[in-house]
Amino acid sequence: MSSLKVYKSIDATSSSCSGPIGELSGAMNDALPSECVEIIVGDPATRDDVRVWAAKTGNRVVVDKEEQGKFRIIVEKVK
Amino acid sequence: MKNVLVAGGGIGGTIVANRIAQKLGEEISRGEVTVSVFDRSEHHYYQPGFLLVSMGVMEPKETSLPEREVLDRRVKLYTGDKGTITKINVGDRQLITADGVIHRYDVLVLATGSHIQMDEVPGFSQGAETFFSLDGARKMLRAVQSFTGGDIVVDVALLPHKCPVAPLEITLMLDDYFRKKGIRDKVNIHYCYPIQGVFGIPNVNKMMLGLFESRGINIHSQFTLASVDAANKKIVSKEGEELRYDMLVAIPPHKGAQVIADSGLGDRRNWVPTDKYTLRLKDHDDVYVMGDTTDIPISKAGSTADYESYTVSHNVAVDIKGDGSKKTYPGSVFCYIATGMDQATYIKFDYNNPPTPPTPSQIHWWGKLAYNKLYWSIHARTLI
Ligand SMILES: Cc1cc2nc3c(=O)[nH]c(=O)nc-3n(C[C@H](O)[C@H](O)[C@H](O)COP(=O)(O)OP(=O)(O)OC[C@H]3O[C@@H](n4cnc5c(N)ncnc54)[C@H](O)[C@@H]3O)c2cc1C
Repeated sequence: MSSLKVYKSIDATSSSCSGPIGELSGAMNDALPSECVEIIVGDPATRDDVRVWAAKTGNRVVVDKEEQGKFRIIVEKVK
Repeated sequence: MKNVLVAGGGIGGTIVANRIAQKLGEEISRGEVTVSVFDRSEHHYYQPGFLLVSMGVMEPKETSLPEREVLDRRVKLYTGDKGTITKINVGDRQLITADGVIHRYDVLVLATGSHIQMDEVPGFSQGAETFFSLDGARKMLRAVQSFTGGDIVVDVALLPHKCPVAPLEITLMLDDYFRKKGIRDKVNIHYCYPIQGVFGIPNVNKMMLGLFESRGINIHSQFTLASVDAANKKIVSKEGEELRYDMLVAIPPHKGAQVIADSGLGDRRNWVPTDKYTLRLKDHDDVYVMGDTTDIPISKAGSTADYESYTVSHNVAVDIKGDGSKKTYPGSVFCYIATGMDQATYIKFDYNNPPTPPTPSQIHWWGKLAYNKLYWSIHARTLI
């Protein structure tokens, strides 16, 4: 856990034109392999979207926690 | 003497400087405060007009004015080498320009914008039309007007980019343009987007999916642009899909300004870490960040910068006067979305209230055109 290198943290709890996945995909584009992007989302459906996106793009969810009604997910860039 | 410096004289920098001058008018006239804008260009470009130029709705000359004409006369303007910022030193409260002069500030506003990266995707600049620059919009208009049939591919290379609704708009405008020209049956329109769907906000996505379906627009998502093969007229996605085109209309990747990187202020894409409510540079209470420059996941739009200018100008005035309570930015955004050559809808939202776009109509189209026409006389000069 402490060895995770978080390149960027995104608060995606509010409306955003690119959407949580758009913001995440942009940040992951710039992350280096083995670096992570942290994203905070406000609802379980978006959390599921993040998990599906990570699986589809071959990246790895390394943290997925519910904290005070929000979801903190850390995705590691695999390649 | 206190100095308020505004880095960048585009939509955000101009509007905020004008509002600050209005709020600190007395202090400026007593010689206690200066407000200065720095921009490399003497001209102020109204980029939303580029979309309309690319479809022949607006004239190129309507999209720019000399910045001096738009700025409040109490605001100092530096352009050319005197206005090109080469380094921002937040530790020493300094901004350095290309003529070697060091400008000291008490409060700094960063509004250096977002910038298209035509060379980030291999083949992009050779193969793609893009309306994200004035020259590109002019060139694209010629391509649109001479197009007689075939495959038009609209592609978004990377999120986030400025004017997130522009790809939807250009797609629906192209569809309507060729319908009105009577050759839509000869034109296949494809829309490629790097995430599932066509837009990031769920109910806008839903509405647009319905419109795209009813207009016969082919959707390719998730499609993340890997390269453009201009010689063979095809694009390839990171997901492995290949698509042939006769005309490629693409939105290039964006980055924050180079000076942000040179000053060590941003992330790898030069977006500046900004508190979403106070609009302050994180860990600095004398630097505000606004418009496209921020890393706030919201909307890189002129309207965002305009709304943010109320918060920033108010708080700068409080900082300078040393008196009064601060405002926070509620995340307000308002964007018209053209859905054809004579109809539009809009989205209005903030951090807590997602948008509910109304049914497209001609009234909103006229609203969009009126906003563009009135930008110079009303919005930029902050008459409202
Ligand atoms: C095709 C298109 C359509 C759009 N449509 C809409 C729309 O319908 N509605 C809407 O709200 N928004 C729209 N936008 C987005 C809008 O134009 C931008 O979000 C807005 O301009 C952002 O304002 P800004 O002040 O942050 O940046 P800008 O307006 O880009 O200004 C940044 C300024 O900083 C200056 N600068 C950068 N680096 C330096 C430096 N080192 N030294 C000195 N000066 C520097 C630049 O010269 C520039 O003048 C559209 C954009 C495009 C391209």
